[in-house]
Amino acid sequence: MNIVVCIKQVPDTTQVKVDPQTGTLIRAGVPSILNPYDHFALETALALKEKTGAEVTVISMGPPQAKTVLRLALALGTDRGILLSDRAFAGSDTWATSYAIARAIKKIGKADLILCGMMAIDGDTAQTGPGIAQQLHLPQITFCEHVAVSGRKLTAKKLMDGGHEIVEAQLPALCTLVLPADYKPAFPSFPEIAAAQEKDLELWTAADVGADENLLGLKGSPTRVDRVYAPPQRARGTVHQGTAAELVEKLVCILKEENFIKC
Amino acid sequence: MLEISASCIGCSKCVTACPFGAIAVENKLAKVNEKCTLCGACAQVCPVSAIEIKRKEESSDLSAYKGVWIFAELSEDRKNPGGKTVRAVTHELLSCGRRLADELGEELCAVLLGNGVEKLCGEIASFGADKIYLVENEALADYNTDAAATVMVALITKHKPSIVLYPSTYIGRDVAPRVASELYVGLTADCTGLSIKEGNLLQTRPAFGGNIMADILSPNTRPQMATVRPNVMKKNEPAPGAKANIVRETVALKKDFSRVKLVERKFDDIGATENIGEAKIIISGGRGMKNKRGFEMLDELAQTLGGAVGASRAAVDLGLMPKPHQVGQSGTTVSPKLYVACGISGAVQHVVGMSSSDVIIAINKDPSAPIFNVCKFGLVGDATQILPKLTEQLRKRKTV
Amino acid sequence: MTTIDAVSRGLMLDSLKEYAKRRIPFDCIRELDRENEFPAEILKEMYDPGVLGVHLLLIPREHGGLGGGTVDIYRVCEALARIDLGIATSVFATFLGTDPLRVGGTEAQQRKWMRKIAEEKLLVAYGATEADAGSDLVNLRTRAEQVVKNGKLAGYKITGNKQWISNGGVADLYTILALAPGGPSWFLVERDATGFSANKHEDKHGIRLSNTAGLSLDDVYVPADQLIGEVEGQGLQQAQAVFGYTRLMVAAFGMGAGCEALETAVRYSQQRIQGGGPLSQKQGYTHKLIVPHAVALEASRAYIHAIALRLDGEEHGLQTEGAIGKYYATEAGNNAAEDAIQALGGYGYTRDFPVEKIKRDVKIACIYEGTNEIMEMTIYRGRWQEHLKSRGQYYIGMAAELDALHAQNANVGADSAALGLRALARILEDCRAQRLTRHQNVTFKLGELIAAAEVAANFCKTAAAKEYNEGVRMDRACCEAMSRVCARETAFDVASQGIKLVLGAGTGSAAELSQAVSLVEIEDRQRGVTEDKDLIAAKLNETFRPR
Repeated sequence: MNIVVCIKQVPDTTQVKVDPQTGTLIRAGVPSILNPYDHFALETALALKEKTGAEVTVISMGPPQAKTVLRLALALGTDRGILLSDRAFAGSDTWATSYAIARAIKKIGKADLILCGMMAIDGDTAQTGPGIAQQLHLPQITFCEHVAVSGRKLTAKKLMDGGHEIVEAQLPALCTLVLPADYKPAFPSFPEIAAAQEKDLELWTAADVGADENLLGLKGSPTRVDRVYAPPQRARGTVHQGTAAELVEKLVCILKEENFIKC
Repeated sequence: MLEISASCIGCSKCVTACPFGAIAVENKLAKVNEKCTLCGACAQVCPVSAIEIKRKEESSDLSAYKGVWIFAELSEDRKNPGGKTVRAVTHELLSCGRRLADELGEELCAVLLGNGVEKLCGEIASFGADKIYLVENEALADYNTDAAATVMVALITKHKPSIVLYPSTYIGRDVAPRVASELYVGLTADCTGLSIKEGNLLQTRPAFGGNIMADILSPNTRPQMATVRPNVMKKNEPAPGAKANIVRETVALKKDFSRVKLVERKFDDIGATENIGEAKIIISGGRGMKNKRGFEMLDELAQTLGGAVGASRAAVDLGLMPKPHQVGQSGTTVSPKLYVACGISGAVQHVVGMSSSDVIIAINKDPSAPIFNVCKFGLVGDATQILPKLTEQLRKRKTV
Repeated sequence: MTTIDAVSRGLMLDSLKEYAKRRIPFDCIRELDRENEFPAEILKEMYDPGVLGVHLLLIPREHGGLGGGTVDIYRVCEALARIDLGIATSVFATFLGTDPLRVGGTEAQQRKWMRKIAEEKLLVAYGATEADAGSDLVNLRTRAEQVVKNGKLAGYKITGNKQWISNGGVADLYTILALAPGGPSWFLVERDATGFSANKHEDKHGIRLSNTAGLSLDDVYVPADQLIGEVEGQGLQQAQAVFGYTRLMVAAFGMGAGCEALETAVRYSQQRIQGGGPLSQKQGYTHKLIVPHAVALEASRAYIHAIALRLDGEEHGLQTEGAIGKYYATEAGNNAAEDAIQALGGYGYTRDFPVEKIKRDVKIACIYEGTNEIMEMTIYRGRWQEHLKSRGQYYIGMAAELDALHAQNANVGADSAALGLRALARILEDCRAQRLTRHQNVTFKLGELIAAAEVAANFCKTAAAKEYNEGVRMDRACCEAMSRVCARETAFDVASQGIKLVLGAGTGSAAELSQAVSLVEIEDRQRGVTEDKDLIAAKLNETFRPR
């Protein structure tokens, strides 16, 4: 079995801040990380590899420095790493990104299972996975908590509103993964990292994957960002201090004033 | 248009898959007829990728696209197993879509997919739909990606709406990108604001974990599609008795059309998602509640006030509350009448999920906690000491 | 042989941080600190190649390690120091303990013992210090007597006591310095050797997670092939040979711990509202408690990195440079931690916040691997020789380099750094002419001024470089401002304190000396320092946002 995992390098959004005056992102000193959802997708693939002996290929689209996340993936046990990097990709929205990655997966050849994080924490769209599935004409199972494979049969536990479903599909298929509660991403040891440095990392351009440049980057993206700005700030409310007993009295007054309890 | 290349092997898979009876195999070669809706179901199943759909020119005349559509999401009727109800988020989409349609001077249409769901049309009409495209089929009884996406693509290709809105739910976020990818149109995820700017749909959404807002346009493609975050759009009062023009569309989907088969469906016992998403009062706790006992205090207060218990990501990560209770960017967005944040510092990721609540009360030991910047009332103190006393007082008042 | 590249190094640091976040969060470290407890299990995990395998970095590849270079190891030292300096010390003790072996061990010894350390995850301790032999190893009392069997040297019997040995009570393998008939020599002693015992774990001011204990050796027999190098009397050279390197690691400790304290203070200052605004917006606060330390720590980083690159190149020894790095960076770290307590006010004084612990911990970096006073002396001795040899031209030449740099990039304060170096050359020359170095305090003070002037000069070069090293988190505008502030203030300190030194110990005219060191010109260069500090304060707030 061949598994392809799509991963993305993202800024650690828990450390990103916005300049309230200019409305621009302050990226100074913000570390880049492997998107946590993708990290879990990767671990899911490696667990399947453990069970079935599958070969795991990891693919990322991004600037040259995104090779860091591919190295991380290799250190964690991936067999092959591919970086899709080309100026032509710059500014791609989810449609153009799905297109480029789908082209790359076609070039890889036989992919039985494609795993993606449910979304990336910088864009929060959750659109690229289904986009890739559509481009490759594969069935998709989104928001999976767990994925198992037996022969050619894929079984997944996926979230739905108010509960979950167990579903089945025949390979090939694409799954997107949500994060389990209290997820702690696996990290490689020093010798594993050093060994990954020796592994080959392939660099592919738009031409390498036979992508139509008109369908890439800003040109190929149906959506346009019109404006980016800081979220509106709420006016700071009144803040009360005092002993626990005084604060309880205050709270009762507030609940009365706001009509949450009767007078 | 649909093109079938010479690599076709005449296997007939597309014939079976086509919901519109538009393909036949003649002389070991697939042929398409005028019934084709360009839904793409055939391309999905072609084993030799011989089918290609070319749409580019078709969407070039933007003025040909008219009307605001919403994808009507249904949910299982928990009181009536097997039955369906209209989700609250569908009401929100209709309300929002009504506003946009009025501004454009165009129709508001709902797409209702299911089996035996005609009776829900009245409710959908009461929230402002002018027209309802009703598609009933066994294969649509329960939501599945393949059937829903195929039908949506066919309907959109046929009727050319200008805007299509989906709820930003597990279902909406599953089907919308599939449809957008097939149609090669712009799709904006998880919008919290929608308006019309110079005839285009201006889509507002948070990005970078809620740190920033972005306005997005899809100026050159139609329809303009968006998924809309639940519990954000204002819901109109329903107008009982309002009528909509019901347009039935027929599709010939085989029962096993979907390539993904449902084996089992399980609902959470508590229905926490519903509780949190739809509760009027939420008492929420963070790391500052320290332990399970702290969350019992929240529960006691919530019961006294008739509300639900929420939690920050930190508290969920510590295992103090199950995930369905999580409020915030990676949990549920809520907008109750009252939100009490106890021992929650107020990271952006949390704040984006609750900042549209009517009244926010924050209790935190740390006077510099950012939660005090978003609350209407702030109390500097230890919630684990304040809450039991408050609950006791409120209970006393009730019994008096 | 492939060396570890920057991407791998970055991933190693990420793994280390992730491990620490998960296994030893601050609450856990605080508890261990309170209990004065060595986390043996944590160290074993950190050495486990399935978890981290930190120690493999210092073992050559041919012996089953990863063959980390100086840059790799200092970056790990810095990261460890940010986590806990006690744990860092414990790991470092293994680094240090293997050094005599790496420098002086025979091929066979290296093969046997390095592999054993790599595979069996051995904690190693470096046993040099004694009650009467600290930084000065000449008074060594521990003896190694030859044991002759059948007319052949079979081994040694070692007797003596060691003091303040990191990992003393917990190591598996010890490198012990003892006086053999042929002179001081290193011996490999295993923990279970008969007659060997460790004393109680010391109750220390800081680095309480690091086990520190005395050792007793009572007729401990070691076979002859456990004499490192198998030749007696090589011990002091073997110890000396790695000082440039080991002291650079302690410099990284000072820098890492100092940065951690500083960042805590910067983050805190943005949340703490006083007098209507956050502390981070108040110059009286930032320009006193934050900015000077940020500058000194960044200058330390630039210096450590430059020396590490030289050690990874063809250069050996660099003992004066190692001493400069250690002296400057550990003082910078210690001062930053001290003011971080002040910056956090009452909170800083409690154990709820990490800064008071960092302050207690980081003090050791000013003491071990040679006290900072020994460093002052070492720096003075090294550069005094250069001054004499070059007939006073050593720093004049360096100043010319900086003037050339200033011509290319006028934004980094290289002209001020050049003025500082020329002032230093003049002060040294006055000290020579008046024989002022007969006063020990003059020599030590010269060591301090030399360190400051050289670090500032190097900082200018780093700030002007095309690309910054991977450890730099500030942007170019900020690094240039820091470099300017450092160059200007250092030039002023060297000139004014140099004058004070010369006039205090010798004779001469203040006016003449002021002119000779271009004091007015240097004072003139102080223009714009406040504005630069405003910029640095703002950039620090941007980079280290509250969590």
